Order: sequence, then C-alpha cells, then structure tokens
Amino acid sequence: MTGRTLARVLALYALTLALGALFMWRALRLDRARTARGPSIVSVWRGGVRIARKVVTGDATPVLVAEGALPGATHTTDEIIDSAPIWALNRFLFAASVAPLRDGVSVSYRGRDAYATPDDLLKIEAYESALQVGPVGLVLGTDTDKVLATLATELGTTPDELLRDGKFRRFAVRRHTDFPRRLEAKDVNVSALREAVLSAAYYLSHNQKRDGSFRYEVDAMTGEDAPDYNFPRHAGATYFLARAGNQLHDARLFRAARRAGEYMAHTTVRCGAHACFGEGDQVDIGASALALLTYVELLNGGANEFRDAALDLAGFLRAQQLENGDFQHFYSVKEQHPINVQVEYYTGEAAFALSRVARISQNEQDLAAASRALAFLVHRSPLFLGAHYFWGAEHWTCQVLEDLWQRAPDRRALQFCLDWQAANRNLQLDSPPALPEYDGGLSRGPFVSPRLTPLASRLEAAVATLSVARSAGVGKAELDLLEREIQRGFAFLLRYQFLPGPTYLMPDPRAVAGGVPGSPVDLHVRIDYPQHAGDAWLRYLELAALDR
Amino acid sequence: MRLLFAVSNALVALILLVGVFGLIQPRFWALDVPAGVLASIELVSALALFARLPWALRALALAAWITFVGGLLLVGLVVLTMVFLRSIHGEDGFVATAVSGLVLLLLVPYTLLLPILQLLWLKRQALEPKP
Repeated sequence: MTGRTLARVLALYALTLALGALFMWRALRLDRARTARGPSIVSVWRGGVRIARKVVTGDATPVLVAEGALPGATHTTDEIIDSAPIWALNRFLFAASVAPLRDGVSVSYRGRDAYATPDDLLKIEAYESALQVGPVGLVLGTDTDKVLATLATELGTTPDELLRDGKFRRFAVRRHTDFPRRLEAKDVNVSALREAVLSAAYYLSHNQKRDGSFRYEVDAMTGEDAPDYNFPRHAGATYFLARAGNQLHDARLFRAARRAGEYMAHTTVRCGAHACFGEGDQVDIGASALALLTYVELLNGGANEFRDAALDLAGFLRAQQLENGDFQHFYSVKEQHPINVQVEYYTGEAAFALSRVARISQNEQDLAAASRALAFLVHRSPLFLGAHYFWGAEHWTCQVLEDLWQRAPDRRALQFCLDWQAANRNLQLDSPPALPEYDGGLSRGPFVSPRLTPLASRLEAAVATLSVARSAGVGKAELDLLEREIQRGFAFLLRYQFLPGPTYLMPDPRAVAGGVPGSPVDLHVRIDYPQHAGDAWLRYLELAALDR
Repeated sequence: MRLLFAVSNALVALILLVGVFGLIQPRFWALDVPAGVLASIELVSALALFARLPWALRALALAAWITFVGGLLLVGLVVLTMVFLRSIHGEDGFVATAVSGLVLLLLVPYTLLLPILQLLWLKRQALEPKP
C-alpha cells in the first residue's frame, strides 16, 4: 500500500468515525439544564407503596389532590425536562443507557405508555446491577431485568416481549426531594455529629432482638430482613454501641451493648488453652479481636463480668502471633491447631484489640504484641517502588497508631497513615465535576455511586491520624488537608443517613430511622454500616471535646 | 530498519504476553485468545526478521496488517464508547472521558503508528530493484 492510499484510508476512517460519533451524540444526549417540556408524572405514595399515578401535560397542581390528602400519603411530581431514545438492542446496552439516580425510563408499547420515575427505580433498587463478563464482575448501569419487569407489569406483558417490541426512552426530571439532605462540609459541626451518632446507635438498639443479636440487614425499601448473620460484624456493632454509651453517657445504649455482649458469650469455643469467638469447625481471629474490643469497652463502662473473657481472648490472640508481628488468622477448632493463612483486616483488628486490652490487663505482653503487629503492618519494602500508589482498605492500622501513641509511639506508622490519607484524598469526589450530593464521597469509578461504609471506615482512620498528627507536631498545611478531607467525608455520610430518608418509599420508616445505607442506590442498612459511620463521628467528637 | 522492526515486534509481543497473561487475572478466553494469537504472530515475525528467514517480510506484512486492522477496530470502539458514555452521563462522565483518552494515546503508537510505518517500509522494499 502506498503512502497516499494509506492516507486516504485513514482519512475515510476518521471521517466515518467522526460522523458516527456525532450521530450518536446528537441522538442520545439529554439537556438537563433546559426548562421542563413535560409531561409531568404525578404520583401518590402511602406506606411505601405507590397508590396512584397520572401523567399530565400542563399544570400538575390540581392532579391527584384527594389521594395526596389521605393520612400518611405523599404527593410527588416529576416534570420531564428532556428525553432521548434508549438503544435497547440487548440487555447490556440497555443497562448502560440509564444514568443512576438522574434518569427515569419510559416505554411505548402497542399504543400505550408506561413510566418508571427515579423514585420507582430507587424503590425497586434497579439503579445498580452487577454484570458478569466472563470471569470479570463489573458494576455498570441499571438492572435491566428489574426495569423491564416493572414496566411490563404496568403494561400487562412479559419483559422479553417488551424488550423486543417496546420503544424505550430515558428522561431527565425536575423534582423536589429532601433525600439526600442538602448539607455541605461547612455544616458539619459538633451538634450535627452528636445527633448523627445517637441516631445511628439508636438504630442498632431499636433493631436488637431479645437474645441480644440484631436484625442483620434491613432493606429500607421492603422492610425485610436478610436471613444470614455475621459474628465479626455483630461484635463490631456491639463495640460501637458500648463506645457510644460510654462516651455520650447514655445508659440505654450501654444496656443494649451489654445484652449484645452476653449474646457473644454464648458463642465462645475453645482454641487450645484459650477461649475464642465464633462457630463451626474453624474460627478466625477477626471475630475474637472485635469481641475483645467490645469486652474492653464494656469493662470501661463497668460491666466487670466480661473481664475474664477479655483476658482469655487476649491470650488466644497472642498465641496466634508470628515472629514477624503478623498473626495466623485462622484456628481449626476441630483439629485444635492454628492455620497460618492471612487475609485483609484481621492483623489490624488483633493489634487494635491487644493495644486496648493492655490498659486493663496491665500485661506488657499485650502492649508488645500490639506494637510488633503495628510495625509489621506499616513496613513496606524500599524495593517496592509502587508503595506510594497501591493501598488497601485496611482501616484498623491507624487506629492502632493512635491508641499506642502515648505508650509506644511509632513515627513510621504515622507517616504511613498520613500517606494513606493522601491517597484517599485523591479518590475523594469533587463537585463539580461530580454530582453535588456525591461531593466528599469515595470514587468507585465514573458511573458507579460511591458507597458509604468504605468511606466511613477510612474516616475512622483519618480522625485517628489527625489526632496523632496534632500531638506529633505535623505541619499546619497537612493538618488542614486532613481536617478538610474529614469534614467533606462526614458531609457525604450525613446527607444519606436516614434522618429521616425517603420515608414515602419505605413501608416502615421508623425501623430504619438513624440507619446508614450502603450507598445512594443501595438503601439496605447492615449492622456494620451505622457502626463504621458512627464510630468515625464518635472519634471526631472525642477529638473536639479534647480541643475544648 | 529490519532490525528495528524485529525489536519493536518482539517488544509488542512481550507487552501483550506480560500484560495479558502476567498481570491480568482471572483468565478469560475472549481476551486471552486474540492476545495470544497476536503476540504469537508478532513474535514469529520478530524471530524471522532476526534470523533473516526468506519469508520474514511476508510475516512482517501479515503482522502489520492484522495489527493495523485490529487497531482501527479497537480505536473506533474506544472512541464510540467514550461518546456513548458522555452522551448518557453528560458532565459526570468527564473522568471516564479523560481516562479513555489516555487509553487511546497509549494504544495508538502500538496499534496504528507502528504497523503504518512497517507497511510503508514494506512497500518501499517491494519497489526497490532486486539485485
């Protein structure tokens, strides 16, 4: 091929590509800034169920007024600003064609229209779905099956037929909603945080069962529980409840924590010479470490019946420690021997628990074990050039740093935590270009809603790092960056805490009041969600109290 | 030039093999098979050029054409994906556009520029009088 022919081929290619791109852009884009064109979708919700809907052009004010006036009813209006076709060639393309929380979906099928508004899609939790491409799991776009099912039900057909014969459009709406709350970093203050902590703690105590366990995961949209349970998370939630009870001098919260602690005592087994926490043939040290943290907190509040159990668990953790400071993370209860396998989090949890219990046990071995574990956790080989850029989600290390700082300060650990927070700040979303309500959240990718708990757990570590950085004389510029990161992160968490949340979509808003959901599109409350957010807020309140 | 193209094709094969089979987990045939085939062709053409085998230039032409056509398809796919996502998400898709742009910049030297240079050189070789 001559140079001239090649140049012609490339020019033709570029022209074709440009025209294709232009056609796609003009066909698919929405103008969200224009004035509303209509129609308006008027809905009435009651007890978490949509009881009436009308689609009208013109003034929507007099529509469904009687239904909206019913006791407990909420009247909503979504004005359509702009719409564009969805190229529903297959489920994958459909899923990628809807912007989460911003777009609704409409369909025309045999002369009839049906609409799924952003509220409808949030209610059926259709805004996020995992897509499996070969062995790779991706979170990309909307749950096509749920959207098709809800529209097909309205039109009295099947999802497959609707996908085949329907003409789909996505639409942008203007609507008034109180969820998420309009809150910025400057609105984060002690009284807002105190209310948030108490609400999160009361969410857990309100959802505690008679035996001391909790409703593990409540779906705010259906009011239903998840059937499973997780012991480390039970221990973590109990730890937070006890901390909140102690720090905020709230006897009801402490009583709830004590009941949850008693539930834990019933699930203790023998691991060699010591007690350990868990069930089945094999246990992990994470559950025992969090149980120990909880017992220490309960002991701090005067529940002395947990003292022996705490010291026994500390003995178990020490027995699992290796020469290099790390731990053997599992123990075979059946065969009575440690299993030398490591996973994320457990070393940090064990180190933190040993550091905390050392104050009660007055056992130098506990303190030494915690220090060695911390040194192991923050050691990064100088040969690993990517050390500055590759970080995990392990959030206990920096809490160990803070707890040990007065007794066994570790400057290298402080630098590790400062570097990690700098990496976290790079992942924090800024608005613009991110949506205003996502400002301060932690990015999971450009089209995926940020989750709350990964941010909350990093903020627990951030507040611990800030506390140590202040006493260690770290420069003001770095302290300001940390403070700003924390405030923005807290604002994001507070926006989505159910205070009270989108109550009209919930069958039982009181059951989830104060709860912290998984993400803006995942309105489940699992027990560790309020735990991590609440603990981060508590830590900050503790720091603010020291300032005063 | 022969030696330069031998080295560059060997380098492309190495990047593909290490990148796909060394760094990316888990295994997925849809990525592994084309990457494996392309890497093999590049490697064979590089070895043939190094060894000055009689069919070396034909192997180079085959490798260049496959890379060039595959590159045009890949670049087109990335550009259309960028435009599609920008249309759906508007300004929220800014970061993805920037990342995809970077991906394009990284792709173009290997998938378009290198095979174009090779094809032009091959043409010149074909036009030169044989001794």
